[in-house]
Amino acid sequence: MARPGSGLAAAALLGLLGTGLSTPARAQMEVRMWTLLSGGDGARMQALVRDFNASQRDVRVVSTTLKWGEPFYTKLITASVVGAGPDLATVHLSRLVNLAGGGVLRPISNAELTAAGLQGGDYLARQWQKSQYRGAAYAVPIDMHPLVLYYNKTLAARAGLLGADGTLAPIEGIAALTDAFRAANERTGKPGLTMESSQSSYAIWRLWTSMLAQQNVGIIKDGRFTYGAAGEATLAGIAAWFRRGYAQVGLDYPASTSQFLGGGATFMLNGVWEVPELVRAAKAGTLGFDYGIVPLPRMYANASAWADSHGFALPANPGHEPSPQKVAAVLRFVAYVSRHSMGWAEGGHIPAYRPVAESPEAKALQPNAQYAAAAANVIYDPDGWYTGAAGPLEAIASKFMPAALYGYMTPAQAMRRFESESARLVRKPPPRY
Amino acid sequence: MERTVLPLAAAVSAKREGLPALVLLGPFLLAFLLFFLVPACETFWLSLTDSSLTRTNAFVGLDNYATLLRDASFRDALANTFYFALLTVIPLTALGLLMALLVNRFVRVQGWLQGVFFLPFVLPISVMTLVADWMLQPSSGIVNHLLGSQRPWLADPDWALPAVAIGTVWWTVGFNMLLFLAGLRNIPAEQYEAAALDGARGWSLFAHITWPSLRPVTTTCLILQMIASLKVFGQTYILTSGGPFNTTRVTLHYMYETAFTQSDAGYAAAIAMAFVAVVLMLSLLQAWVVRWMARRDA
Repeated sequence: MARPGSGLAAAALLGLLGTGLSTPARAQMEVRMWTLLSGGDGARMQALVRDFNASQRDVRVVSTTLKWGEPFYTKLITASVVGAGPDLATVHLSRLVNLAGGGVLRPISNAELTAAGLQGGDYLARQWQKSQYRGAAYAVPIDMHPLVLYYNKTLAARAGLLGADGTLAPIEGIAALTDAFRAANERTGKPGLTMESSQSSYAIWRLWTSMLAQQNVGIIKDGRFTYGAAGEATLAGIAAWFRRGYAQVGLDYPASTSQFLGGGATFMLNGVWEVPELVRAAKAGTLGFDYGIVPLPRMYANASAWADSHGFALPANPGHEPSPQKVAAVLRFVAYVSRHSMGWAEGGHIPAYRPVAESPEAKALQPNAQYAAAAANVIYDPDGWYTGAAGPLEAIASKFMPAALYGYMTPAQAMRRFESESARLVRKPPPRY
Repeated sequence: MERTVLPLAAAVSAKREGLPALVLLGPFLLAFLLFFLVPACETFWLSLTDSSLTRTNAFVGLDNYATLLRDASFRDALANTFYFALLTVIPLTALGLLMALLVNRFVRVQGWLQGVFFLPFVLPISVMTLVADWMLQPSSGIVNHLLGSQRPWLADPDWALPAVAIGTVWWTVGFNMLLFLAGLRNIPAEQYEAAALDGARGWSLFAHITWPSLRPVTTTCLILQMIASLKVFGQTYILTSGGPFNTTRVTLHYMYETAFTQSDAGYAAAIAMAFVAVVLMLSLLQAWVVRWMARRDA
């Protein structure tokens, strides 16, 4: 998974040029895939496509990478409902209610899955369940990527936060976590925490929803926000870390990760997708410190942590529905990726395909094993057509929540603006595209 | 310069030129009909429905417009748009005039000056925003280097829109310069000569000959510029995505988000129609003010 960069929207179009390549003379079934995977994930998916294409001669996958986030989904939705979508797309399972309910995707029948050698039971139960909409499968899960806490062992040792075994001493409770950030800040002279907090940052929403879930507080029900006073109090709690200087405000995604990778902060709150960069830097000897990763600490009643999953889905393309042969070709590739998702685990993700996820190799993989326990406590965005990765509700949250961290708005003002701006959205019936 | 034609002669020539005129106008009229008038009418119809991005749904009458009247986000977006217009219209016109005067004055480097002033205008918006973004970078940008500041221009709630406005002025002022230059070259040299004989110099030449003669061009410039500025979308979309905290979300960006992120095409169409009405009223008001001023002076 990658973050929406600040590049040009037009740059995304460049990727489209790839789809025009001519096919070889052989009677091959071509599968056109759109993905939103960039960075390391993008490279790993490209490698899987390459290996798959080399492994057999019947199916050829042509992959096009579009700009992550809203541009990707807008394009996927508009193309797929008029019959001009690709044969296969990577989507976030948090968007499934929106995409399946809106008529963007086509269901995948049991018979089709079985023919490809796949079955629901092969996938982690939670992710398989997130792939269902009204009793039918609309996606095949690829992975899960939770929010975790990274730490710099050198700085944490200086702050007195390591246990006897040289790993982070357990942190329990919001006060203990705040104390850890404060101690790290005071004793290292560097920010205790780094996280993406610039305008349009989704990270704050992810942390905020995790913290509310830890308090057993729901976010939305029947078009009404249900978090009450806890919503503002939680945002105020996060804002206080920044106000007190435990974390530097206004860093965008690249700036916040380079702060951690450069040894400039003791802790980093981020998704597991930053793991490969740490592994790479550690291997190359350029990191300069030893790191560890733990699941998001239990701050309140439980240890819930925000997560999302990638999955493969088949666009509906009404008027240009895929032939049974096409569906078989698509699922053949999907099955191939599932069986070869060990490489995907090296991207930090927890594979959703159980034969891989539960294999001894996956269980021994470092640093993944350090945060494997997070899988038991993951929460997704609440179900709704407007929720999910880069969906309209997250987009609105990403505008106002950073404002509270900047001090440009008070947490109360930020929550009020978040609610007033999304009021129309959450009351609207789900659109049928 | 206006051409005086007798009413009778005009009617006769109109009759004779009717068919050729129609043939010549045909291609334009067809394109206008197909790509402007029909879509505009469709948009109006869409604004009366509860439609999603690709599906036209139930007729809801004026519901969308009623919602619009109470919509604080729409008001904020309008306010941002007007602020942007305020920051660009007069500077663009004044700077265009100044540049034209410079080009006209320094005859020896005329071609060179004209090229320098006009060059940014030929850049596509993607290049212009790349350059602006690069110049405004907080730590590595030349603007902060020259000012010795660390301001994150495009992420600063107070400075983001002015920064985009300055970029826009740099980008489009060349066109206004050309308009003014054409205007300047249309002023007969005899007027200056006569005035010079009467002892007029420098400023009074400008105030009594150049400025009044340029009035039609100035008016055109102001009107074109106001419409262009109110229609701003690309620069803010690419440079700030409407941020920080919606402080640069202009009306068309709000319409875009409503239609594409929120899949609320009916409401987005209502935003579009309301905006057309606002722009139309402002243009008429501006034209009326200009005419009133001309009458007052005459």
